[in-house]
Amino acid sequence: MDIVVHEADAGAAVLECSGRLNMVSAPTFRETVAKVVGDGRPRVVVELSGVEFMDSSGLGALVGSLKAARQAGGDLRIAAPSDQVEMVLKLSNMDKILRTYPDGDAAVTDWA
Amino acid sequence: MNAAVGGHSLDLACPPDDVTAVHAFLATVWDTEPTVSAEDRMALELALVELTSNVIEHGAAGRGVSCSLHLDVGSDAVEAQLTDDGVPVPVDPSAAQLPDALAESGRGLALVQMVVDDLRYERVADRNLWTVRRGRH
Repeated sequence: MDIVVHEADAGAAVLECSGRLNMVSAPTFRETVAKVVGDGRPRVVVELSGVEFMDSSGLGALVGSLKAARQAGGDLRIAAPSDQVEMVLKLSNMDKILRTYPDGDAAVTDWA
Repeated sequence: MNAAVGGHSLDLACPPDDVTAVHAFLATVWDTEPTVSAEDRMALELALVELTSNVIEHGAAGRGVSCSLHLDVGSDAVEAQLTDDGVPVPVDPSAAQLPDALAESGRGLALVQMVVDDLRYERVADRNLWTVRRGRH
């Protein structure tokens, strides 16, 4: 998978992801979020419109990253999930834990 | 890695192979089976990648694992068998449940159960055999 980090407002970043979030890419995803949070941007938006496949390894990476963001005083939000990602979020009930926004800008702007 | 399209079979040696080969294999299967719906493709890709991930993660026991995936696309249902030479699996897949919301693992088999009509695990001789069946929608 590819991850492009966009530094948004102070303390926030949008991670534009594409490809697959599975057991192959999950470690890279976790490391990328950890670095963004460690660099002082604990409000993390994960933009998923370009992710055509996510599985339980990907969900685990999202949950781990959510915890890392919250421990640093921030949070993690999902933006623009594809149909497949939305299916997996719903089946796993993670749509109740991870707040989903229509796009990256909406997720960042709403952060008060 | 060895893929025989037409028979819809894939052999994997992990490492170096990983689930990327399963994604690529399924893309070739769907190309030759264009009547399989998008919903069925999504469900089967999730189920088969989850099962293969489990085999690679738990079956390898530090020495690598070989596995074979076979897919039969029928007019009413798609059936798949995944066999591997890894260690026996000590779980009852039919009892798989979602873990706590903030757990970072343990969702794989529960998700497979949700997207297939039948999921079975057997130990046959010295191999694990996973069988899934999904009625076509």
